[in-house]
Amino acid sequence: MKKILMTAMMTSISEVMETMFFLPVEPGPESTLAQKGMDTDTLAGCINFSGDASGSLVIVAPRTLVGEMAENFMGESIDALTEEHFSGTMTEMLNMVCGNALSKIESGRPFELGIPEIVAPLEKFETEVFTFVATTQSNMAVLLQIDRYIDSQIGQ
Amino acid sequence: MSYSILIVDDSLPMRSVIKRTLKAAGYGSSDMLEAANGKEGLDLMHNSWVDLVITDYNMPVMNGLEFIRALKQEDLLKDIPVVVVSTEGNTAKISEFMDSGAAGYITKPFTPESIRDLIVSILGEVDYEEDLDDGDDDFDF
Repeated sequence: MKKILMTAMMTSISEVMETMFFLPVEPGPESTLAQKGMDTDTLAGCINFSGDASGSLVIVAPRTLVGEMAENFMGESIDALTEEHFSGTMTEMLNMVCGNALSKIESGRPFELGIPEIVAPLEKFETEVFTFVATTQSNMAVLLQIDRYIDSQIGQ
Repeated sequence: MSYSILIVDDSLPMRSVIKRTLKAAGYGSSDMLEAANGKEGLDLMHNSWVDLVITDYNMPVMNGLEFIRALKQEDLLKDIPVVVVSTEGNTAKISEFMDSGAAGYITKPFTPESIRDLIVSILGEVDYEEDLDDGDDDFDF
């Protein structure tokens, strides 16, 4: 089940990044944040979901990448962007990625999304193994956490 | 033709993107009002005339579905068309929006064309020469 969800998330990341942020992405290896040098100067967001499976999606990206995404998304120069634009870009990306991914999965009851939030600090993720996604000039890290499955076909 | 369009979304970047898309679609001379959730949107509509509402679903305080249902309870507001722009792409959720009185639905991620086509089908074509004269559109269809 986690594999189905993760595949849908990775497909969705590609669609959202290319359609809304004009950045092509390529799936990469798995690693901890520290091993990839992504434990500092990053922005992280989390969105919870519930349905036949409940859990959360965490994405960590370097601030430079979030800035590039915000510029592309809103058509504004980086100098015109505030911290709210940065955090809003991260949470909106999570919202689109997770919602788009879950809509691709057949489930017994519709998935519901929580409100995406910025996560800080990152210490609680220091031992977690993330899947990395390469963009044109940097990487972002993706972590799918499943808390529980409801008894249905999707959990088989 | 100028309209008053209310964009309801808790994401500041998404409100900016929708505004930019509407300008590029020819609605540059229209008033663009903004609210961060359904309750703010409803409060704003009690004080300002609105021709069209574009709303997200997943918002704090009052979500898009609660917002539409609240609008439909009010005689002065119930006929104002509401378009939902949301990541919620499953058929059951879309049916719930349409059954509640939404005039249309667009799934995120979206293309500018999909927003333009739906808005034009509701408000009608605009005079592109007039509306593009405001000069700050930076992408084309």
